[in-house]
Amino acid sequence: MAASRLPEADLEGIEGVRMTWNNWPRTKVEASKCVIPIAASIQPIRPHVDLQVLPYPPLRCKTCSAVLSPFCRVDFTALVWMCPFCYQRNHFPQHYSSISQTNLPAELYPNFPSIEYTIPNYPQNPQNFNPSTTVCPIYLFVFDTCLLEEELDFAKSALKRAIGMLPDNAMVGFVSYGTQVQVHELGFSEMSKVYVFRGSKELSKDQVLEQLGLGAAGRRAGPGIQKGGDGLNPLGGAPNSGINRFLLPASECEYTLNSLLDELGTDQWPVAPGNRALRCTGVALSIAAGLLGASTVGTGARIIAFVGGPCTEGPGSIVSKDLSDPVRSHKDLDKDAAPFFKKAVHFYEELGKQLVSQGHVLDVFASALDQVGIAEMKVAIERTGGLAVLAESFGHSVFKESFKRIFEDGEQSLGLSFNGTLEINCSKDIKIQGIIGPCTSLEKKGPAVANTVIGQGNTTAWKMCGLDRNTCMTIFFDISSNEKSDPSGTNPQLYIQFITSYQTPDGQTRLRATTVTRRWVDSAVGTEDLVNGFDQEAAAVVIARFASYKMEMEEGFDTTRWLDRNLIRLCSKFGDYRKDDPSSFTLNPCFSLFPQFMFNLRRSQFVQVFNNSPDETAYFRILLNREIISNAAVMIQPSLISYSFNSLPAPALLDVSSIGADRILLLDSYFSVVIFHGMTIAQWRNMGYQNQPEHQAFAHLLQAPHDDAELIIRDRFPVPRLVVCDQHGSQARFLLAKLNPSATYSNAHEMAAGSDVIFTDDVSLQVFIDHLQRLAVQAS
Amino acid sequence: MASPGGPRPGNLPPSFIPNSLANNMQNLQINQPNQPQSNNPTGGVSRPPNTTPFGQQPPPFAGSRPGPPPHSAFARGPVPPSPSGPPQTTLSPNVAPVRPAGPPPGSQPPTPFVSRPLPPGSLPSSMGGATVSLASGSSPQLGPGPHHGPFVSSPPMSGPAAPPPVRTSGPLSNGPPGITPAQFQAGPRFPPVMGSTPRPPPIAAPQPATMLSSGSSSQRPQLRPNFGGPPASASLATTHPGPSSAPPQNMLPPPAPSPFSAPIQSVPRPSGSPYGMQTWMSQQQQVAPPPPVSGLQPPRMFGMPRTLPNQSLAPTSPALFHTGAAGTAQSKVDPSHIPRPIPSSVVILHETRQGNQANPPPPATSDYIVKDTGNCSPRFMRCTINQIPCTVDLLSTSAMQLALLVQPLALPHPSEEPIQVVDFGESGPVRCSRCKGYINPFMKFIDQGRSFICNLCGFTDETPRDYHCNLGPDGRRRDADERPELCRGTVEFVASKEYMVRDPMPAVYFFLIDVSTNAIQTGATAAACSAINQVIADLPEGPRTAVGIATFDSNIHFYNLKRALQQPLMLIVPDIQDVYTPLESDVIVQLSECRQHLELLLESIPTMFQNNRIGDSAFGAAIKAAYLAMKSTGGKLLVFQSVLPSIGIGSLSAREAEGRSNISAGEKEANKLLQPADKTLKTMAIEFAEYQVCVDLFITTQTYVDIASISVIPRTTGGRVYYYYPFTALSDPAKLYNDLRWNVTRPQGFEAVMRVRCSQGIQVQDYSGNFCKRIPTDVDLPAIDCDKTIMVTLKHDDKLQDGSECAFQCALLYTTVYGQRRIRVSTLSLPCTTMLSNLFRSADLDTQFACILKQVTGEVPSTPLPQVAEQAKNLCINILHSYRKFCATATASGQLILPEALKLLPLYTLALLKSCGLRGDGRIDDRSSWINYVSHLSTPLAIPLVYPRMIAIHNLDEKELDSSLIPETVPLSSEHITDEGIYLLENGEDCLICVGNSVNPDILHQLFGISSVEEISSQFVLQQYDNPLSKKLNGIINEIRRQRCSYLRLKLCRKGDPSGTTFLSYMVEDKTPSGLSYVEFLIHIHQHIQRKMP
Repeated sequence: MAASRLPEADLEGIEGVRMTWNNWPRTKVEASKCVIPIAASIQPIRPHVDLQVLPYPPLRCKTCSAVLSPFCRVDFTALVWMCPFCYQRNHFPQHYSSISQTNLPAELYPNFPSIEYTIPNYPQNPQNFNPSTTVCPIYLFVFDTCLLEEELDFAKSALKRAIGMLPDNAMVGFVSYGTQVQVHELGFSEMSKVYVFRGSKELSKDQVLEQLGLGAAGRRAGPGIQKGGDGLNPLGGAPNSGINRFLLPASECEYTLNSLLDELGTDQWPVAPGNRALRCTGVALSIAAGLLGASTVGTGARIIAFVGGPCTEGPGSIVSKDLSDPVRSHKDLDKDAAPFFKKAVHFYEELGKQLVSQGHVLDVFASALDQVGIAEMKVAIERTGGLAVLAESFGHSVFKESFKRIFEDGEQSLGLSFNGTLEINCSKDIKIQGIIGPCTSLEKKGPAVANTVIGQGNTTAWKMCGLDRNTCMTIFFDISSNEKSDPSGTNPQLYIQFITSYQTPDGQTRLRATTVTRRWVDSAVGTEDLVNGFDQEAAAVVIARFASYKMEMEEGFDTTRWLDRNLIRLCSKFGDYRKDDPSSFTLNPCFSLFPQFMFNLRRSQFVQVFNNSPDETAYFRILLNREIISNAAVMIQPSLISYSFNSLPAPALLDVSSIGADRILLLDSYFSVVIFHGMTIAQWRNMGYQNQPEHQAFAHLLQAPHDDAELIIRDRFPVPRLVVCDQHGSQARFLLAKLNPSATYSNAHEMAAGSDVIFTDDVSLQVFIDHLQRLAVQAS
Repeated sequence: MASPGGPRPGNLPPSFIPNSLANNMQNLQINQPNQPQSNNPTGGVSRPPNTTPFGQQPPPFAGSRPGPPPHSAFARGPVPPSPSGPPQTTLSPNVAPVRPAGPPPGSQPPTPFVSRPLPPGSLPSSMGGATVSLASGSSPQLGPGPHHGPFVSSPPMSGPAAPPPVRTSGPLSNGPPGITPAQFQAGPRFPPVMGSTPRPPPIAAPQPATMLSSGSSSQRPQLRPNFGGPPASASLATTHPGPSSAPPQNMLPPPAPSPFSAPIQSVPRPSGSPYGMQTWMSQQQQVAPPPPVSGLQPPRMFGMPRTLPNQSLAPTSPALFHTGAAGTAQSKVDPSHIPRPIPSSVVILHETRQGNQANPPPPATSDYIVKDTGNCSPRFMRCTINQIPCTVDLLSTSAMQLALLVQPLALPHPSEEPIQVVDFGESGPVRCSRCKGYINPFMKFIDQGRSFICNLCGFTDETPRDYHCNLGPDGRRRDADERPELCRGTVEFVASKEYMVRDPMPAVYFFLIDVSTNAIQTGATAAACSAINQVIADLPEGPRTAVGIATFDSNIHFYNLKRALQQPLMLIVPDIQDVYTPLESDVIVQLSECRQHLELLLESIPTMFQNNRIGDSAFGAAIKAAYLAMKSTGGKLLVFQSVLPSIGIGSLSAREAEGRSNISAGEKEANKLLQPADKTLKTMAIEFAEYQVCVDLFITTQTYVDIASISVIPRTTGGRVYYYYPFTALSDPAKLYNDLRWNVTRPQGFEAVMRVRCSQGIQVQDYSGNFCKRIPTDVDLPAIDCDKTIMVTLKHDDKLQDGSECAFQCALLYTTVYGQRRIRVSTLSLPCTTMLSNLFRSADLDTQFACILKQVTGEVPSTPLPQVAEQAKNLCINILHSYRKFCATATASGQLILPEALKLLPLYTLALLKSCGLRGDGRIDDRSSWINYVSHLSTPLAIPLVYPRMIAIHNLDEKELDSSLIPETVPLSSEHITDEGIYLLENGEDCLICVGNSVNPDILHQLFGISSVEEISSQFVLQQYDNPLSKKLNGIINEIRRQRCSYLRLKLCRKGDPSGTTFLSYMVEDKTPSGLSYVEFLIHIHQHIQRKMP
């Protein structure tokens, strides 16, 4: 399994870029005929063994500020390089004087399309260069106390463990909330001290700062008095005044926090019978954001929120406190019967904007059996590049393990980085429509901005307050339609440069420049080049993202129909067939998997939202949009591996027919990993054969899927739910829901013994393909 | 603080006969025509008394001092003001120097009488021992002797013996200021003495008169002028007769105590008397008393006889009194013989009813023990007039107020019987079904007890079946004496369910402490914390007591004191525009559960905030937040505030500064700075009251805090303002602690509602005090304590029947600190009268003045000051005028005639005009604080507030304090202050100790541990050193504290310092740039009255 994934990883290579089309049609018309939008999925800070980190700042083009790349034409004698984007000629600075054909700086090596620079310090705060304050990231925990005792204990212990794992210099803050918000002043040694805010009132950032005593310095203290105070207490004044009252290095406040957590009880405000607890998640988050607003500009910070239930108090409420009102469902949203929804979304939008402007991240760890409002919070999470984890309980491994992963060090570290910005330079005729993914448009206009907008658009630069190794974004391109433009004709290559600057978890500022080139093709001549350049996996994921995006943005959007139509058009265009003869239909191998992806996408949680709550849908989409292509593909079309005595573990068809009594199946649907024991296997296991030395092979067989599952789980964030089940067991539904229903009750009699049937009216893949072929060959 | 208990009988020297003075009426005769003349002389005279005498006298005094002391020494064993040794000698020297004419004695006598021309009357008056003489003298050709005899004798008071010295003292003292104190005291104590001296035995009664007469004789300087200008402008005369009747009543009741006192008194007196005699002799020189005296006495005679009857309230004819006065037309006013309060130290035993008649109560300021025999104790409720006018016309003719001062939880005297608690079970107390009046001794049972007639509304109710009881032959229920509600004026009923809206609230105390920079740096925070910490131990025990604590600067810091926590948790409420409570529970915790946390917290607060640099104070927000935390239960919110609320809800501006620049407008319009800045706090306060939250403010400040605005909160919620300005960490913490301790330990109740019901014909017009009124008939009191007094003004809505009784019933429904719901019902039934003279005779000076004080003070914030002063003066003038016009018609027009009962009204009115609240020159906050203090002030404290008690303490060890701890008082006139003296002055709140510039360093060392006057700083802490003088001083101060239920704010003053100026500002009898001297004021009043006379 692991082995099988390696080649996929290579697809991204050092660039970390995958495109739906690797050869680009020359014109807008051609592009639209391609059906699948031209899009690139980029993993901005993808780690790679070959990645070079240069200890100096990059050279940038003086007009378009593109970074020097291997694709620049360099005149070594004149010490001039020409920018491939704007054709500007730039002189090399003095310290490049020694370069020559044989003495190239790393950024000019053609096999380093991606290269990283270390930037001494962030230019925004040159005046007080103090690595210890500017550099350490801030972790502000926002902690729900409207929990059951047991849940609270789980959450507390998770938090304690996390704090223990934080680097010593990481700054930590703590906010707890229930009916009210309590901002804990960790730097107060005398006793535990908290600022209490009412949950029902929205406060602006300024108000929060003012009330926390972090407003414009000394605004509240009389001038004379302050002078006196300073005189008396030159040292003591500082810790008492600034944000360091609330944010302390982990090493200093660990004890305080631990004892604070020991005493922290569940929320004391009474809950009337038949009501939900009053929980002011919205205000808590907005106050946390306000608090962080006092931190130095450019400091990376994340708000890590524990949410144990729906917000019912104050702005951001998603449901009334009356338990007889259920939390909104997709149906309610469709019928506009969710009175809180729009207001809450608007609130979180504003919160997101504030966080983005501060460069801070919102992470949400939601653990509840009911919804907590991820659907509303999604906008803030996604815009800031935050993480979201949805679990049933703080005691559940999905939460516990995921949460731990954030703070883990080393190889498995998520590499959580801060304050990223992404700039894109591209060749003439290429326009950028926007990005779907965890980022925010910086509204930086330029010639490369397209007229139409998808996702975060209208810009050539984006803010990524939080990003990590796996963060991935989808950029939608458009081709400017000028067919006659000759200059482009002269150069068959197109160039796109992604410049990502960010702060690493340890506080370094980095800039990564990734320059890619692709070929223009004249599709009017033939589709072969196009076809060969098609990345069906990437395309499937892009379509899935695009569809999700449209579902959110367009009211009454009929996703299934839209997908079907696109698929049919695609097949019509790129399939080989005789008109009106379905049986003659064949697809190039480059496209062959695509219909199946679409089939699974149609059945997936992304399209069939009604099987899920709005929260779950939002959660799935957040991950769909930020995961790398291969992971996203798994979300759409899970992978299935079969284990049996007779063969090595092998991928199996995602089909009900893969179920066998003597097999173990391992399903990876990204959000859950299912180990499914065939009936016979289960019986053997129940009889304990695996414990008998003579049946060691059986023990190995039993163990193998667990080991593989472990591998999957280990490097995935959020940690998937592991389901171990037996055939015909109730948990088996996690597997069955994902399988192609080739065998249903309607044709059960045809099935072989030991296999299974799925009780559904859904069409099977075969039927779907049949229809597709029929429709694709129809004259349109 | 001393134990709250009332003065113990034992302590008080029996020697004082408290009421005697008050009883007599005084006439001050002033001849206008003469005045001018007199004035000329007076130039020396009237004013001189202040200036000249002062300046000049001192030298003579050096010699003369001795003079006064003797008197005092004689008169009172205990407190001779000036140290002078030999009385007589001293006197004579005094006399000699002062009055050039050694012989003056002869001349003097006349002077006092002023009315030399007027032969007998005037003379006698003066003679009479001054006081008596005037009044009685005039009319009374009557044989004084006999009267006196009876008088004296009748009141068991050892009249005869004691009197002589006193009187003597009086006259003697007159001359030298130092002496005056003696006179006063003497007057009161030995009123009889007065009489005795001249005519030892009889005079006892005359005391009142003495006052007047003494005046004439006393001031030598004046005398001279007087003499010089025979036409002396005014003569003062007191008429005993009318008033005397009233006084006698007072006097009589005392009999019980007096017996005790009498012997004691008698003892000293005898000895005194001889001396007295001598002194007299000396005096006589001055006054030539004897002959005139006789003349004077006659009037007293009249008084005397009446006195006896007085008890039964027999009306006395005012005419008698006047007679005396009439004679003396031209005599000058002698400052030392004009009426002055004479504190009595005799414990009076007062039965509220005798012979089925209401017994007029002793003065509120006196020491008395009440036996509730049907009417409630005067401590709980007293009326401005002890007989109720039958018609409005009669009342308005008298120009007096009809009002009740109600102090429903007043502190009883320790020797009084506790109030009986009556439990009617589920059905609750028996009440009239129409007016809802509570059963009381005046409900009349008829028809074999089957029904009863309500004494309030007249309705006939059916007796509840299980309450039925047959009537005895006397028409009373047979069980009347066994049932407290049928024989006691005050009872407490256990409230049944129907009196509860909810379960009785727990005793919740919430402390709110200012920790802004200022508070921290001045030590106010530390003081507050330490006070609270000590007081916690005094809070009521038990599960019903809960406490909470919060601090504030520009934020509000609550503390979670829950036991489970390792340490208190500070919860900050930063939104001071829109506050809230940070926890639903745990902010207020049962005391038993959080004692340790609380102590720990209180210890650490001052250090925790020691570097606090926040100067702002979110006072309004803080109390609002605290209120929200207490809202579910209600309770007491005790706030310690140090700076102007500058931020958050209800923040205020430092408008004092604006006010200063704007001062010119001050004369014409009301001072806006005395009014609340806006309505925010008022609105809040009403809300607090609704949820039974009572706020007390402890203001420990160095600056302006706009008390006018913030005091609205305590005033509306039944709390009060304690004002410590300027706060000093040295001496104020002790007071703060004691104030706080008294605040939480004194008898008090929560969530109270009070209503006063009156008999038909009278109804309540308005209530005033510290409370919240939502409906016109009731007063809502989130908390009520023993110190809070509510003034209830009354009005007629019908005629009353002559000879009937009019009843007032005050019902207070409240919750005790132990969570019982009780109804305290006090009933007072007073006779109705159609006689104006009865009204004057039964007027209750202390109560009347308290009413005037409260009313006038209430006007101050909304009315221009001159107008207020005018109003105050007119209240006084109108009453005197009415008396003059209708009750003293027989007198010559040139006389100022004062009704005996109200003879001190002019003095108090003058004092009021010069009080902090009515002076325009004080700090705004001082004035506001004063105004606030008055609003809830109890009757016994009303007079000391404007007319403080002053005693000399430099010579304590020279005097044998008799059983009384407090030496005799010195009049509030700078004439009576010597440079060698140390004087203690107290008004119930503050205590100033003024040290003269040439005080014997020895004494300084003994008292204060310093060796020279220069070392005096106004901040000091009284310490007890191991010497008798210091011990005595401590003893005195402790006694005063006990009496006032207040730990006085002690301040050392020194002449020449600003502190000395403060001290001098209390010398209300002095002439000041903006105010008249006492004598001038009397003349002034007299002129007004004359102008009004047709």
